[in-house]
Amino acid sequence: MNGTAAAWDADRRRYDAIIVGAGWSGSLIAERLGAKGWQVLVLEAGNGGDETWEGHLDAVRTFHSAVAKVPNSPYRRNTAAPSPDVLDLAPVRDPEPGKPEFTANGYLVQQGALPYGTDYLRALGGTGMHWLGAVPRMHADDFGTDTDYGYGRDWPIGAEDLQRHYAEAERAMGVAGDADEQRKLGVVTDPDYVYPMHGIPQSHIDDYCQKRVGGHEIHDEVAGETYTINITGLPQARNSTPDPRYAGGAGYRPKGAVGLANYGERCVGNASCVPICPVQARSTPLRIQAGFSGSVTVATRSVVTRVLRGRGAYVRGVEYRTYGDPATPVSRSYTAEADVVVLAAHAIENARLLLFSELANGSDQVGRNLMDHPTMVAWGLTAEADGNIGPFRGPGHTSGWEEFRFGDARGTRAPFRIEIGNWGWGWANGAPMSNVATALGVGGDAAGEVRDKGIFGPELRRFLGSTIGRQLQLQCAVEQAADPENRVTIDPRKHRDAMGNPRPVIAYDLDEHTRKGVYAAYLVAGRIFAEMGAQNRTDFRPVGGLPPLGHFVYPTDDSVDGEVHLAYHGAGHGAGTHVMGADRSTSVVDSHQRTHDHPNLYAVGCGSMPSIGTSNPTVTMAALALRSAERIHQDLAELHGAVLPRPRTQKTEVPA
Amino acid sequence: MTGISEQEFVRTCVRLTGFTEYDLYGTGMAGLFLGTARDQVGEDRFAVFWAALKKALDDPQGLKTLTPTHLEAARALTYLWYTGAWPRLAPAAHAELRRQQANTEFMAAPAAYTEGLVWRTFHGHPAGAKAPGFGTWAAKPPDVPATGEAQEEQAEEPAGAYRVGMEEPVALDEVPHDLLPAFRASRDIAPSEVPTARAPEADGAAQQQKEVRA
Ligand SMILES: Cc1cc2nc3c(=O)[nH]c(=O)nc-3n(C[C@H](O)[C@H](O)[C@H](O)COP(=O)(O)OP(=O)(O)OC[C@H]3O[C@@H](n4cnc5c(N)ncnc54)[C@H](O)[C@@H]3O)c2cc1C
Ligand code: SF4
Repeated sequence: MNGTAAAWDADRRRYDAIIVGAGWSGSLIAERLGAKGWQVLVLEAGNGGDETWEGHLDAVRTFHSAVAKVPNSPYRRNTAAPSPDVLDLAPVRDPEPGKPEFTANGYLVQQGALPYGTDYLRALGGTGMHWLGAVPRMHADDFGTDTDYGYGRDWPIGAEDLQRHYAEAERAMGVAGDADEQRKLGVVTDPDYVYPMHGIPQSHIDDYCQKRVGGHEIHDEVAGETYTINITGLPQARNSTPDPRYAGGAGYRPKGAVGLANYGERCVGNASCVPICPVQARSTPLRIQAGFSGSVTVATRSVVTRVLRGRGAYVRGVEYRTYGDPATPVSRSYTAEADVVVLAAHAIENARLLLFSELANGSDQVGRNLMDHPTMVAWGLTAEADGNIGPFRGPGHTSGWEEFRFGDARGTRAPFRIEIGNWGWGWANGAPMSNVATALGVGGDAAGEVRDKGIFGPELRRFLGSTIGRQLQLQCAVEQAADPENRVTIDPRKHRDAMGNPRPVIAYDLDEHTRKGVYAAYLVAGRIFAEMGAQNRTDFRPVGGLPPLGHFVYPTDDSVDGEVHLAYHGAGHGAGTHVMGADRSTSVVDSHQRTHDHPNLYAVGCGSMPSIGTSNPTVTMAALALRSAERIHQDLAELHGAVLPRPRTQKTEVPA
Repeated sequence: MTGISEQEFVRTCVRLTGFTEYDLYGTGMAGLFLGTARDQVGEDRFAVFWAALKKALDDPQGLKTLTPTHLEAARALTYLWYTGAWPRLAPAAHAELRRQQANTEFMAAPAAYTEGLVWRTFHGHPAGAKAPGFGTWAAKPPDVPATGEAQEEQAEEPAGAYRVGMEEPVALDEVPHDLLPAFRASRDIAPSEVPTARAPEADGAAQQQKEVRA
């Protein structure tokens, strides 16, 4: 990258394209347009710093000293460009029936029945700085659920339209995977395709699960169907062994750490991919930025406040504010103009900007259809006789059970993907630290008195070795269908951030189809534990009157109580807020993510997705971004009378 | 400084943690942890606690003989060795110690986290540090040491000296719910604040009712 520019350098200048946000989607588009020689300005609200090795090490240290090792823990708070944090949410003790069981005390104003338990990060690189890097493609069935299964919204394009762009995205992000397995699932269709790198080795836990229950039948009571389960490896944006067959035998050179040469070219099993990979073997958008051409300018600490209208239906540029000190956001306002404006600020931020700019909302769909993958986390203890299964090693998950994603059962209940967790009960219970606390008995009982039970010394050591070494956690990511009532709005008179920008106001709930999927996943996880001889310890009942976040009671007909306590976590997969469609009266952007209402305004990212599907969304989002980049290049070329600018020399190596 | 040498500190902590002197010195944390515990408990109270702890460890009844507050301090010190963090104390103990500090969990130092003993109990490594290398997660991990092995290193200890509130050693194939953590209600709950799991719904009773209904 060319270093970051001072905001005033960009003031009142004219660019070919302005890109708002330097996360995955913004960085990919900027890189493509820059490579074609277009003058591109990237405005990034957050701070930089992690693009240097020193800055990165500082973030790693911050993470080590954090008690709550949440996704945003390595990054400093920024009041000028605040980020939502999972720590903003708190459950309410003994909630009144029918009232929300949570409070939200952060950047997002939450007014829904259930919490939107997902964060994002506003810093250079965006949420891609702390993502896990799971990159399975979407399945063809994910694109037409309304027509095929009678729920959700259909896409105006299908999986076939994206295959080429998926492959490009996998090169850009640096993906390791087993193409044969993915072909078997039906998500990779090119018979000759191989991923840039061989699949990340599957964990011993995966192996154990396959030995115990591979080929076994698991009954899904809710769907009334029985599935034969076998593990499938996970494609990951994480450095592995390059595949010499890649690109017709050209091979692939892994891209490692940004700011330190020849480092991070292999995942070494730090097991902290979320929130930070110490060696940077897990891919981030900084890698893409390191390859920006000389015609791309990045300005950090530049918060876009609105998009400016131009002549007719066109937009003219953006207004943005810059700040010096993130703690005391004294800011100045600037404008920049361009032929094309691309919003790549994250699903929720894109909606916020469009709403505040009063643009692109002819369909009244801006901000609506907010989705995520509500994730039901089940936990169990594997059989004592089987010994240590090796938790807390390797990437977060390396395999999953994919069977529950597909088939007609989708019509009955939401489909789900089961991730086999490699990090013990970390997500569910705060293990392994919380195991130490509860085994010792520290912290007091419900009344605040010293507990009367606990162990020490050799017994403690033995107990922890056994009960941590046998922890198995299954993360079931449930597809949530688009629902116009799940939405982002703004209320500038009531809710603004420290810089004066309207805060996102969220209304969120799970519909019956989705809840049914959560319940089905809960039962299926229990059956899998039983089948492998493990003790299912999953329990979402309130403890001491405190319901967990994301808690809801689901009515059942066959249990004794007639109900079961369930809970979900947010997955970080914000989507749907500027939904894509062919019909301008019911959607915000077209299949190229261009707003129907403004020919030179694009909104890119997961916000464009009409359905979130049964896989982690970012590789699909990246494929869409690359597809849009081609379109934007065409737009610009047409605008310039097809006189294409001469490409500048492109930097591909990171200077050491 | 009150007269507790690092050597004396480590020898006593060997018995609290179940790890050897070699292991504890190897963390490089002994000085920091002694200082942290003394700061947290308070200089004078720590001296009293220390004397009581040593006496209890030599008593056939073991740690059962400690007062609740001293028991809580012993737990906190053990938690510090295992995780690198000083935990939240039971509010009753916090009050009795008249501590000035906020009663919240904190990490003693970034390096304390990576030296936590908990990872070693199952042959793991701290998440985010001491990476074991590409593909190592595919290998079968070593089995965890059997009780005998861990105890052998400890000379003859009276049976049950390390258990409070329990007569029998914990059955590892039927782990009691109240030694395991419950679902963490929210992410801002520090590990030492996670409550113990609730008793499972009585399966037998539920089954009976079902049969009666049918
Ligand atoms: C904990 C976690 C784990 C995840 N793991 C996975 C995974 O394994 N697989 C997967 O597929 N997905 C995963 N995701 C989702 C993934 O991270 C996101 O889909 C992806 O990073 C979104 O990219 P984006 O470029 O659209 O938005 P972002 O990455 O959020 O980037 C938006 C950028 O815009 C900037 N910005 C915002 N507002 C403004 C403004 N007003 N002006 C200027 N700039 C602005 C932000 O600072 C940010 O840099 C995960 C998410 C989380 C939270
Ligand atoms: S397992 Fe470790 S080395 Fe590998 S990507 Fe995750 S954090 Fe990085």
